[in-house]
Amino acid sequence: MKNRLKIERAILDLTQEELANKIGVSRQTISSIEKNRYVPSTVLSLRLSDLFGKPVNDFFELDENEIANA
Amino acid sequence: MDVKSIMECERKSLEKMKRYQLPNKFKKIGIGIILISVVTIILNKMSIDNIDLKLTAKYGILLGLLVVSISKEKIEDELITNLRMQSYTFAFIAGVLITLTNPLFSYLANTVLEKQQEIFQGIGDWQVLWILLSIQVFYFEFLKRMNK
Repeated sequence: MKNRLKIERAILDLTQEELANKIGVSRQTISSIEKNRYVPSTVLSLRLSDLFGKPVNDFFELDENEIANA
Repeated sequence: MDVKSIMECERKSLEKMKRYQLPNKFKKIGIGIILISVVTIILNKMSIDNIDLKLTAKYGILLGLLVVSISKEKIEDELITNLRMQSYTFAFIAGVLITLTNPLFSYLANTVLEKQQEIFQGIGDWQVLWILLSIQVFYFEFLKRMNK
């Protein structure tokens, strides 16, 4: 799954630490999501959606393979 | 199913995982128990060599590892819960494989290398628990470092 978390974070001018504090996770979790090493849960995705003021689909996108397997 | 009920469902499943865990400060207590047990074993070996004391200290190591294993991280979020579950799965599979193959390797080592006729011998409960707990603790630390 691709994501635009880093870009959305930059738009809000937040560091990984600040974003992590706002949504109640560790900086490590934000870093792992940005590097596509971890896919967040629905709860966390919705928290991010609330913070960015955008639907989840705007910053999370399925890979071509994932779409093909659907 | 609306968004709130999905969130509630996920939150409840995460909460269930946290119920059996100890606060973060217990991690240091667990490490302390392990160190005291190891020192006791070494000192016992060098002096009185008491079997009961040695056995108690060996089980102290297991208790310490268990306390470390079930202690929370400073920030116990969903990534940590996920890594923890991965480490338990890996420890379970690796532990069972090691337990199953260990007697075979011991048998081969004794018969081929030392030319002694050995019978198949399983490993004891302490070794099995030590293998499971130590693999879990070290693999969890490894996964945390990999995700930094």
